[in-house]
Amino acid sequence: MRPTLVVGSGPSFFVIGPGARALAGPFAVDADPRHAATRFDTLGSQELPQGLLVALERVPADQSLSASPDRLARAVSEALRRPVEVPAVGDLRRARSLLPRPDPNVERQFLLALARHRLEQALRSPEEVLITLAREEERVERSVGREERAAESFVPVRDTPLDLHLEAWARARGALGELEDALRRTLESEAKRIVPNLAAVVGARTAARLVAAAGGVRALARMPSARLQLLGSRRRPSPERGPRFGVIYRADRLAELPLGRRGAYARSLAALAAIAVRADAITHRDISAALVARRDRRVETLKRRGR
Amino acid sequence: MRPPRSYRPIDGSPRLWESRHGDRRELWTETVGELPPVYGERWVEDGDRRLRHFEPGRSKLAAALVKGWRGDLPAPGQAWLYLGAASGTTASHVADLVGPEGRVYALERSVRPFARLLALSERWPNLCPILADARGPREYAALVPPVDGLYADIAQPDQLAIVLANAELLLSGDGARLLVALKTPSMGRSRSPTAHRTASEDTLADRVALAPSVSLEPFHRGHFMIGGRWGRMSRLPPAPSPRSTTPRERRRERRAR
Repeated sequence: MRPTLVVGSGPSFFVIGPGARALAGPFAVDADPRHAATRFDTLGSQELPQGLLVALERVPADQSLSASPDRLARAVSEALRRPVEVPAVGDLRRARSLLPRPDPNVERQFLLALARHRLEQALRSPEEVLITLAREEERVERSVGREERAAESFVPVRDTPLDLHLEAWARARGALGELEDALRRTLESEAKRIVPNLAAVVGARTAARLVAAAGGVRALARMPSARLQLLGSRRRPSPERGPRFGVIYRADRLAELPLGRRGAYARSLAALAAIAVRADAITHRDISAALVARRDRRVETLKRRGR
Repeated sequence: MRPPRSYRPIDGSPRLWESRHGDRRELWTETVGELPPVYGERWVEDGDRRLRHFEPGRSKLAAALVKGWRGDLPAPGQAWLYLGAASGTTASHVADLVGPEGRVYALERSVRPFARLLALSERWPNLCPILADARGPREYAALVPPVDGLYADIAQPDQLAIVLANAELLLSGDGARLLVALKTPSMGRSRSPTAHRTASEDTLADRVALAPSVSLEPFHRGHFMIGGRWGRMSRLPPAPSPRSTTPRERRRERRAR
């Protein structure tokens, strides 16, 4: 049994959903089984705004609220049709100084349980799943590549124990390759679902890696294209000579171009990618056809210019 | 044969130990946790104590001690709030310093480092992890009782404002301790690192009795340790005897200046 939501608001906080009461311990102030919310109070004497609990009782157990007290106050104000005040810092401080300290062991167990719960919730979001998949795919790709290079350096000698070993190893590598393909397919379909425009412009795998390198879709959307172009490159930029080869050097259609034009393509592609990811993160409109047309025009121009 | 190392506690911090080997001085914390090492650091047993190597290259607090930080440290039995704990490298040492009777509330915002911090906390008996953004202290105020000290290591341009908001709400009151590993590389290039430090100290001086700050070069580029005691008129601890460092470290410090 796990609680579905934790709402904090200064002096007190609420855990909503089944399993909340199991967590309550000595903190629980209100543990009436009719309520969806269990109120924990580490402050004891501090009174909450009248009616806050009434409002929280109406919250269905599966609805997710933001943990921000201001937003919570607004939601409650709307539910009650009158203003609810968020306490000022001075009041909070005074109330906190009156507190009895909870039992250290119970407190720690509670915080660990809360941390496990919040971590699980955070890792469950589609975006985090995409980031984890992208990192995993990169790791698998590296290890499969290492295996293949290692296999080339062996000279098989027939009917020796080494040969038998290498045969078994080759079978294992084949299985690993299949696993890698399956992982890649999952990654690509996730990327197309979460960042469709970006995936259309740079390719699904590169899109996933860009999101992973930035740490999230919104973080990527806030980046100027110059930073996006360098994401995943290993050296820090310096005024004279910066790093050049980031994640975007693995984008679709880049390999078609002659070496001398790839930098120019990466630069314009980064600009298109920045626009694409903003559409994915903010407007949620499908602008991929226009962006892909612009990308292809650019590829043709660069090919004609050649070198 | 090399003579065995001898460990002795550092004045005023019973859980912080040092060993001298010729010119070299190493720092150790008396640990509350169990093996294996947290980040690959060395462990030794000295009598019935287990000591963990406290490396200046890995931890800004250790670097500050090597560079002659004379302000407060986490003391046994205290509760500390640690902002920006990441995967818990320094947080584990702060937890060692406050000892089994103390408590460290370690805050981290990003998910993957937090997963490692949580795994560490499960085996570190006085470490409590909290997954939250230090920008909104009201959101976790209910989880953290008033604390005796605040340690901050946040890579944000407005790190000082974040520290002040937390200190104002969560510190136990005047005389509470504040340690800020100031990251000037995150604060923009409009000022030099030293200018950032001066500006930050000016901001803090209204609310905090400041201890002399130290630069963490060459261990952490562009970082400073600043801090002191909450409340402008708070009394600072007396300075220890000036010759607590080795000649080699004094030379290195002169060069770094």
